[in-house]
Amino acid sequence: MFKKASIFLLIAGLGMASCSKDPINDLSTEESLVYITNHDKAANFKQYKTFSIVDSVVVVENNQSGTALTDIDKDVLTRIITKMQALGYTYVSPKAKPDVGINVTWITNTYLNVVSQPLNSYYGGYWGGGFGYGYPNYYSYYETAESYWLITLLDFKNPNTVDKTFNVIWDAQVRGAGIGNRQYVDTMIDSVFGQSEYLKIN
Amino acid sequence: MKKIIIAALFLAGFFPAYAQQQEAPKLYTLPSPFERYTHYLATARVVGAVPLGSFADSYIDKSSFRNASISIEWVLRNSPFSIGGEIGSTYFQKRIPRTLYQNGEGTISAVQTRTLSQYPVELFGNYHFLPKTSLIQPYVQVSGGISILDNVLYYGTLSSQHQKIAPKYGIGLGSKFLFKKDGAVGVDVRVKYDGTAYKHDYIEKGVSSVNGSIGLFYRWW
Repeated sequence: MFKKASIFLLIAGLGMASCSKDPINDLSTEESLVYITNHDKAANFKQYKTFSIVDSVVVVENNQSGTALTDIDKDVLTRIITKMQALGYTYVSPKAKPDVGINVTWITNTYLNVVSQPLNSYYGGYWGGGFGYGYPNYYSYYETAESYWLITLLDFKNPNTVDKTFNVIWDAQVRGAGIGNRQYVDTMIDSVFGQSEYLKIN
Repeated sequence: MKKIIIAALFLAGFFPAYAQQQEAPKLYTLPSPFERYTHYLATARVVGAVPLGSFADSYIDKSSFRNASISIEWVLRNSPFSIGGEIGSTYFQKRIPRTLYQNGEGTISAVQTRTLSQYPVELFGNYHFLPKTSLIQPYVQVSGGISILDNVLYYGTLSSQHQKIAPKYGIGLGSKFLFKKDGAVGVDVRVKYDGTAYKHDYIEKGVSSVNGSIGLFYRWW
């Protein structure tokens, strides 16, 4: 009798376990893209007239950087120039003392993660007090790498002379699955400028 | 004519005999073991859930059919009550088309995928309205326990996750339908309100839903 019941429960249990899910596997590449923009609320964009842009993309990978100018990099730089001109800025050479400068960076970060159990953060919330956790070395780890585009607008007109920095008056991050694909360059660049109407000076 | 008379006589003789036929006398008149003993009853359910209230308004209003539960209960002897435990899995999900979100000073443009998984672990008590010999056994249920919550909000492919164990409770109305009298197997139908005291981000006033389930049960002693 009891044996029959055990089988019954086991089947029910298997049925529940098989309901595994990946809620974002049906996202299209375009839908996967995330655009994040920030700007300096104190900056008056009307004061800037001219801009220039780096001649290649800075590639930062785990805090080591170099430059690159592949086809997609050229596409990105060209599209940014087009969008800036459409907003009313004049494109000049870096030597012509532009009011703003644009940096384009491709960043890849690799993270090491501890496999998360459902109970971790509950107890994590309880055992606060500034202590980290020491995980035994037989716990599971996995590594994730994430890449994203970072576009920054620097204020060359009002440099901070005290600590010798140029203020970042606008930046944009593009994250998601399609960011390395030339097909999505126009969509990406148009979107980050499109959600930043305050940049418009004409 | 002769034939009809014979047939009429035959029927006249047959019907009274049929009407007078009685049930064979019972040699053993013991009640069913399910009446005599406290017995076990296990139920596996598939559940459809409809979000309610502020949870539906501010986070996910889409119904979910990817839920299930299993329960085991002790049906008490000489009592209309049964008590037991139930574990389950419920999952809500909603996709929001690309929208601009203000996050502090920043602006995020993304397709949001909102998800909430719950793994409730509960104790419950049932009150049955009809005796255990009945083929149909309607009941009311009160339950309480905890819910292990996994709240994952996706912006595109980026995710922000929040996990917590929160108290939960439920009130249900259901009925068991036995396939045969004194049988061991049957169908269970239940409608239940579930509430979980959980607040995070978009979820400001807890998670509530009404759950309709259909299940199979097996009982033994």
